[in-house]
Amino acid sequence: MKRKGAKIVFGRGVLALSLLIPSLSSLAQVAATLSGAITGSAGRVVSSAQVSVKNVQSGKSTETQSNSAGIYSVPNLTPGDYEVSVAAQGLASKVARITLTGDEQQTMNFNLNAGSAQQEIPPNKSTAAPPADLANAPSASQTSPSLQDLGITPKQTQGNAQMQEMLDKRTHMLKVHQTLGLITAIPMVATVITGPQAKAKGRNGQIITEPTTANLDFHIALGSLTTGLYWTTAYYSTFAPKVSGVTPKGAIRLHRALEWVHGPGMILTPVLGIMAYKQENAGEKVHGVASQHGTVAYVTAIAYGASIVSISWPIHLKFWK
Amino acid sequence: MKKILLAFLLVGLAALAQTDTQWALEQSTLTYHMSHPMHEVDGVSHAAKGKGICHAGQCDFLIAVPVKSFDSGDSNRDLHMIEDVRGAQFPMVVVRAHFPDVSATSPTIYADLDVQFAGQTAQYKHLAFERVTRGNQVQISGTIPATCSDFKIDRPSFLTVPIKNEIPVRIEMTWRQM
Repeated sequence: MKRKGAKIVFGRGVLALSLLIPSLSSLAQVAATLSGAITGSAGRVVSSAQVSVKNVQSGKSTETQSNSAGIYSVPNLTPGDYEVSVAAQGLASKVARITLTGDEQQTMNFNLNAGSAQQEIPPNKSTAAPPADLANAPSASQTSPSLQDLGITPKQTQGNAQMQEMLDKRTHMLKVHQTLGLITAIPMVATVITGPQAKAKGRNGQIITEPTTANLDFHIALGSLTTGLYWTTAYYSTFAPKVSGVTPKGAIRLHRALEWVHGPGMILTPVLGIMAYKQENAGEKVHGVASQHGTVAYVTAIAYGASIVSISWPIHLKFWK
Repeated sequence: MKKILLAFLLVGLAALAQTDTQWALEQSTLTYHMSHPMHEVDGVSHAAKGKGICHAGQCDFLIAVPVKSFDSGDSNRDLHMIEDVRGAQFPMVVVRAHFPDVSATSPTIYADLDVQFAGQTAQYKHLAFERVTRGNQVQISGTIPATCSDFKIDRPSFLTVPIKNEIPVRIEMTWRQM
């Protein structure tokens, strides 16, 4: 009885194991890597060439691009027959077949000839034949060093399109910030100039009851415009993408430090201005903290001007260091 | 006797023939210069790596330097530079120099350069580089007359005024024979 039971258990174990083995073998399935160099006429490297590696059996394609050294690499390919297509702008495409076996790294280089596109020759440069053999082939050469000989890994030469996109967005937003910041300076200066004139004139020095003179209205309008432009300018700087791992250095540090002066100033100045306006509206002479509206406005404007100068100052006069 | 003389002659000729030499970059300073009416900017990098092989009378040198290693003293400007030259997409500047293997006493090397930068390749012919030999080290210095248009770089502007097209790169390198 026990022997029969043991046989049943053993049989089930063998069955389970036989089912498991294909799964295990698939886990242990080897993966090959295909890489190589893309070159053009006279061995010149071709970067950003589109490389497509298609498994003939499954029809599955893997896409990649050659890096700035003209090197492409496609890892994790199951052994089998592949069709490799390479295309680059202005050059004739090429297709080749390769059979990948085992888990080895295999190399397939492509030399693309010029298509219909004309190659631009920079002005004032000779059109003589270029030096021979400039290919950065993965294998070592007796006559021509490669990037790998310098200890530079493919990862170091690999481009990052996402990072480039982020930098593009950052530059665009900071350009808008710069333009708006310069535009904002105009109404800000006008507001400061019209400030001392923006007092509702009473009769014979009597208490002001209704500050509705044109000067005051004009000053308020300019101040409102300045405030709106200022915070729009600040938006573009605040929300421009930040690049991690970069330590601020140079004039930008002073430019950023000054925002802690004119930023709070651009909140306080209109607030104090409104308080002053209400006091004047109530027939009172401006008093208390509201009387500091002018002083705060001057400090804010000076800090703002210094912020512009700090980023624009000729580079050889580095007084902030 | 004649055979012995012939053998000596062949050995002598072989000795006179130029032997292969290999060179490694010990130290380097690469400086680009950018001009604007409001600013004169120099960006410096000491991060270049290089190797050279002289074989059969010709020398082939390869130098590579990361774009982000250039420091102009202002981090904001450096980031803008990286964006403008597509440095995230093409992170390396690669220079391949080809020149004849001249004698050690020659103070000047005339080299043909292939420069890969910002996804473009530009050629510079017959550039003169000063050479000073000190023991088994050689100091090379010179200027590559690069321009923004050579590499299809949009010239950045400030206050609507763009920088000058010329962005010469000063090279000072110390090479050691391996």
